[in-house]
Amino acid sequence: MRTHSISTISAAALISALAFLPTLRAQTAPPRSVDDINVDTWNSRPLRKPAYAGIKPAPAPRRDLSGIWDATGDAAGGAAPGVQNTGAHEYPAVLPGNNNPAGGEPDERKIPRQLPYTPLGEATLKAHKPTGMGVRSVAAVLGNDPLDICDPAGFPRIELYEFAVIEIAQTADQVILLNQFFRTWRTIWTDGRELPKNPEPRFEGYSVGKWVDDYTFVVETIGLDERTWLDNAGRPHSSELRVEERFHRVDHDNMELTVTIDDPKMYTQPWQALNKFPLRLQPRGFDIREVHCVPSDTAQYNNDIGDPSVAPEGK
Amino acid sequence: MRNKLGTISLLVVGFLAISIPLFAHHGNASYDTEKTVTVKGAVTEYIWANPHVFVKVDAKDESGETSHWVIEAQNIVAQSTLGWTNTMFKPGDQVVIDVTPVKNGRTIGRFRGRIVINGQEFKPLR
Repeated sequence: MRTHSISTISAAALISALAFLPTLRAQTAPPRSVDDINVDTWNSRPLRKPAYAGIKPAPAPRRDLSGIWDATGDAAGGAAPGVQNTGAHEYPAVLPGNNNPAGGEPDERKIPRQLPYTPLGEATLKAHKPTGMGVRSVAAVLGNDPLDICDPAGFPRIELYEFAVIEIAQTADQVILLNQFFRTWRTIWTDGRELPKNPEPRFEGYSVGKWVDDYTFVVETIGLDERTWLDNAGRPHSSELRVEERFHRVDHDNMELTVTIDDPKMYTQPWQALNKFPLRLQPRGFDIREVHCVPSDTAQYNNDIGDPSVAPEGK
Repeated sequence: MRNKLGTISLLVVGFLAISIPLFAHHGNASYDTEKTVTVKGAVTEYIWANPHVFVKVDAKDESGETSHWVIEAQNIVAQSTLGWTNTMFKPGDQVVIDVTPVKNGRTIGRFRGRIVINGQEFKPLR
């Protein structure tokens, strides 16, 4: 009996100790690399800042962007300032009159230097009726945002809005960008080919890339379908749009993306839509949750919420 | 206007710094963001889908009249980041939910914070 009690107590003590082990380990041994951090095995959620405490990122590997990267950031609520809500950053990235630190679609009337629209650019912007946040926003079913009917977001909108998780893979001839949202991908050719002379428009365009140094990969993209919007605010582009993406790997765990918009039909000069926008490497086992735009789900949403939200009062 | 909101507690909380949700594809154009309505009732359906996760609740007032509420959140990625799952609500769950109502008086709202499910307050992940 006595022996039994002792063994029971010992077992209980052992179980308690084991139960505390992960905590003790967490306190005494911070993760050495991002791959030591636990994430959900399936449908992983991007890591937030506390998870990285104690990690000193290793130096960036040479000419290598591969991995799973999160663009939703560590800001309040997880949304990186700017990109998720505003789409493109302001020009420059200043939003006086925007009282929400997490972003908020820019009020085109209040920014000190508006985007350098051409007359056509301004007219096209005004013809676009966004349904996101901001002063120009209308109710979900009263806008003309292509995304509201599950038309493709296309490039560069995929990086200027709904930029969440992106997996990057490299082969001898390509860098492949796999987007979480809408499960689209882009092929960046690195085999030395030139961009096409008279490209048939495509939603993701035509891209070639090259390393300008061991940690900076620059991509040029043309041939974009002008039915897409640049961002959630409805900023326009034409088929003459040329986009430069500059992926700069700061260290093993961090990358910065700078996106420059050059479209002489819509803007009088090039402007930066993202300036050193941060991307954070996720653990190797990160499983990307799928996001599709499903027309039947959208129809149900419009039927249950979108349409009755704008129906006449009292009916 | 006499509407079904009248018997459900309706609090005007003034203009708050309402945090813009993650991936806010749809803005507040049809919502009266200065109001909070507390919806109490039973879940009838839970839709875990894009572009918006939403839940339907039958709210019964003191006189026994039932109003059918539809309450939307953001998309699946945004909600899962906050710790929501596809089994978070089940038909029959008794819930108390603070919502931002639409402007036109319909019983449609958007989650704006407090969620109590069968007596347990839901705490979002940060």
